[in-house]
Amino acid sequence: MNTTEIPLKDPAVSAAAGDTEQLERAYIDASTRVPVLMFYTSAIAWLVVGTVLAMVVSFKMHSPDLFGDISFLTWGRLRPAHMNVMVYGWASMAGMGTAVWLMARLCRARLRFPLLLAAGAAFWNLGVLIGVGAILLGDSTGFQWLEFPPYVAVILFVAYTLMASWAVLMFRHRRGDQIYITQWYLLGAFLWFPWLYAAGQLMLFVVPVQGVLQSAVTWWYANNLLFLWFGAIALGTAYYMIPKVIGRPVYSYHLATIGFWTYALFSSWTGMTRLIDGPFPAWMVTASIAATILTMIPVATVGLNHHLTMQGYFPLLRYSPTLRFTVFGAMSYTVFSVIGVLISLRSVASYVNFSQVSIAYTHLGLYAFFTMTIFGSMYYIVPRLVGREWRYGSLIKLHFWASAYGIGLMTLMLLAGGFLQGANLENPALPFSESIETVLPYLRGRSLAGILLTVSHFIFAYHFGLMLLGLGRTSTVPTFLNPVEAEISGGH
Amino acid sequence: MKGLAPLFLGIFGTFAFSWIGLTVIPTWQIGHLTPESDEEGTDIYPRPQSGMFVRGEHVYAANGCVYCHTQQVRADYIADDIERKWGNRRSAPRDYIFDRPVFLGKMRMGQDLADIGARAPAPEESPAAAGAVSPVGATATPGAAASPGAAQATSPSPANALATTPAGSPGSSPPATAPASPATSPATVLATSPPASSAGSAAVHTSPAPPGQRTGVASPSPGQMANTTPGGSSPVAPSAQTPGAPWPIQTAGLPPMYSAAWHHVHLYAPRSINRDSNMPAYRFLYEKRRIAGERSADALQLSGGDAPPEGWEVVPTYDAKCVVAYLMGLNQSHPLKEVRSVGGAPPIGGSPAPAVQGASPPPPSGASK
Repeated sequence: MNTTEIPLKDPAVSAAAGDTEQLERAYIDASTRVPVLMFYTSAIAWLVVGTVLAMVVSFKMHSPDLFGDISFLTWGRLRPAHMNVMVYGWASMAGMGTAVWLMARLCRARLRFPLLLAAGAAFWNLGVLIGVGAILLGDSTGFQWLEFPPYVAVILFVAYTLMASWAVLMFRHRRGDQIYITQWYLLGAFLWFPWLYAAGQLMLFVVPVQGVLQSAVTWWYANNLLFLWFGAIALGTAYYMIPKVIGRPVYSYHLATIGFWTYALFSSWTGMTRLIDGPFPAWMVTASIAATILTMIPVATVGLNHHLTMQGYFPLLRYSPTLRFTVFGAMSYTVFSVIGVLISLRSVASYVNFSQVSIAYTHLGLYAFFTMTIFGSMYYIVPRLVGREWRYGSLIKLHFWASAYGIGLMTLMLLAGGFLQGANLENPALPFSESIETVLPYLRGRSLAGILLTVSHFIFAYHFGLMLLGLGRTSTVPTFLNPVEAEISGGH
Repeated sequence: MKGLAPLFLGIFGTFAFSWIGLTVIPTWQIGHLTPESDEEGTDIYPRPQSGMFVRGEHVYAANGCVYCHTQQVRADYIADDIERKWGNRRSAPRDYIFDRPVFLGKMRMGQDLADIGARAPAPEESPAAAGAVSPVGATATPGAAASPGAAQATSPSPANALATTPAGSPGSSPPATAPASPATSPATVLATSPPASSAGSAAVHTSPAPPGQRTGVASPSPGQMANTTPGGSSPVAPSAQTPGAPWPIQTAGLPPMYSAAWHHVHLYAPRSINRDSNMPAYRFLYEKRRIAGERSADALQLSGGDAPPEGWEVVPTYDAKCVVAYLMGLNQSHPLKEVRSVGGAPPIGGSPAPAVQGASPPPPSGASK
C-alpha cells in the first residue's frame, strides 16, 4: 500500500467534512479535558502502584521470605491489594476516562456538568485508597474481587452514582437519533456496573446468602465485572478506534448488533465455570459452561467485523500507535475467550481448576484485552486534550513491545506452568509438594515477564507525565511509530 | 439502532436474566439448608461455630490464606482429592452453611484445608506439647472441634465462648453448660444444638459413637503417642510416610503433624518443616520475648536458625491461637446423607490409612528430596 494514502489523524476531517465540524469536535474535546485527564492521571498513578505491588507479589511467590516479618507486607495481603488497585484503581478509572470522552464525542455535545465527574473521580480515588489501606491493615472481607470492606463500597458507590448520573444527563443532551455501536456498549457498561456492584454487596453483606452461595455470588460478580464492565468498555472502544483511525466505516452494523446482544446474553452467564466440581448443584456449573461455549458467537461476529473493517488496512499497524494497541487488544479478546472455553470444559477444568491457569486467564482478560485497548485509546485521546503530540515515537514503540512481550510471556508461563501443576496435582502417586516444585520455575519466568511489564508501565507513565506538563511536540502531525516513512504521508 | 428504550430494556433484561438465573434461583434451591442429624437428633452436623473459631476465620481472611488454599474436596470420580487424604467424601453445600465468609478458594499452592482439623492427632496424644491442645474430653463431637485450640490454658476470656455455642441460632438454650466440660453429656449437646433439619426422630437407635467422630474420640494410636515435653526432644514416631500422604512429610523433632503445636511451628517457620515450602512465614502473629521465670507452656518448639536465642521464647499471639483453633476446627469428616463417604469408616485421626492402590514406594524420609 502506498504510504502517501495513509490517512492517520481524523481522516473524516481531512477528507470530507468541513471546517465547522472539525472546530466543533475540537470544542467538545476541549470540554472533556479536565475530567478525562483527571481520570487518566489517577489511573496511571494507580497503574504504577499496582505494578510495584505486582512485582513484590510475584517475587514473594518463589522467594517467600522477602519482607516476611511485616504484617502489611505479607503475601496474602499484597496480592488482594495488587488486584484491587488494578481492578478498581487502574482499569476502572482508565476505562471511565475513555468512556467519558467517547460519550461526549458520540453524543456530539459539549461535556456538561464537569464538576459531577471531577467529584466522582475524587471520591473514587478516596475509596480505592482507603480500601487498599484496609486490605493491607488486615480488614479484607475475604471475598475475592470484593475485598474492600463495606464502608469503602459505600464511598465507591457514591462516586459512581455521581458519574452515572453524568452519563445519563449527557445522553439526554445528545444530538441526533443514531446511537452508534460504541454507545451501546458504553451505556451497557455504565448501567451494568452499579447493578452488579449493588447486587454483590447486597447479597454478601446486607442480606448475606448462605454458605457456598457466597462463592457463587462472588464469582458471578467477578466474571460479570470482567465481561460486562471491562469487556464492554474495551469492545466499545475498539468499535470506535479501529474505524476512526483507518477512516472507514464499520464493516457491518448487522454483525455488530448480533455481537452485542449475544455478548450481553451469554457472557453474563459464565461465572460458575470458576466453580466446576465444587459443592454446587450441577446445573449451575453446566449452564455456565454452555454459556461460555456460546460466547464463541459474539467472539466470532465481533472478530469478523473488526477483521473485515481492517481488511486492506493492516499495513497501518506499522504507523499508528492507537491502531496497534487496539488491534492487539481486539485480537486478545478472541484468545481470551477461546482459552476461557478450553479451561471451562469439565475434563480440562478438573486438571487446571486450582492451578495458575486461572491467573493467566484473568490477566488475558484484564491486561491483554482490556488494558491494551485502553492504552490505544489513550494514545488517541491525550493529544486531543493537551494540544500536543506524543513526544517520542520510540517510547511508544518500547511501551508496546514491552507490554506485548510481557503479557505474552506471562500468559505462556502461567498456562504452561499451570497445566503441569494441575497434571501433577491430579497424580496421586506424586506428593503434593511436587506440584508446587513443578510450577516454581514458571513463576520465576512470570517474574521476568513482570519486569518487562514494569518497564513498559514506567515508560508510559513518564511519557504521559511529559504530555501533562505540556512537553509534547507542537505539531499538526500525530506521532507515528515509524516516523521516517510517516513523515512523507504527513507532509502530503 | 434507534431509540433508547429497546436498548435500555435489553441491557436490563440480560442483567436480570443472569442475576436471577445464577444467584436467585440457586438461593431458592440451596440457600436455606439446615443441619442434618440422626434419628435421635443427637448427632447434629454441621454446628455453628463461635469464639476463637470465628475470630480465626477473620485472621484467615485478613491474611489471604484463601489465595493459596482451597477448602473443597472434589468427588473421587472427578479428582484425586480423596486419594490425597484431603477428606473422606466430597464436600457438599451443607458443609458450609455456617461459614462466613466461605473460603472455597480457587488455587492450590498449598494443600486443601477443608478437612485439616480431622487430620489432627487425638488431643490426648500431645498433652503437654508446647502451645498444644489440651485434652478436651472424650465426648467431644465433631461440631466441637474448635475446642482443642480454644482450650489452651493461657487464652483470654473468650475461651468460654467456644465449642457448641450455637451463634445466631434461635431457640437454643443458654450455652452455659456446654463448653469444654469433659463431661458434656449427649443430652447437653442436644439441648444446645440448633434445630435438626430432617427431624426424622421416629426410629431410635442407640449407637453411642457416630462414625464421624474423630477429633475427640479417636483412640490413640501407639505410633502417635508423642510424649513431647517443652524444650525437650520429641520422640515422634511418624507413621505418615505413605505415598500420596499429605504434604508436608512428618519429620522427627517436631510436634505431631497437624496438632496445634505443629500448626504454630508451621505458621512461624514453614521451611523448618518443609525446606521447599513457599508458604510465607507469619512471624508477625508471634511474639518473641524474654523468658520470665519459667518457660511458657505454649512457647513454640523451634530448632536451628528459627529458634530464639538462649533465654528467649516465641509465643503465639491471641490471633495466632485463633487461626490455629480455626484450622483445628475445619472438619468435614462427618457423613452427610446426600454424599457417599469413601472407604467406610474414616481413618483414625492423624494416621492416614495404608498406602493407596498403585502407589509408588514412599519418598525418602526427611523434609525433602
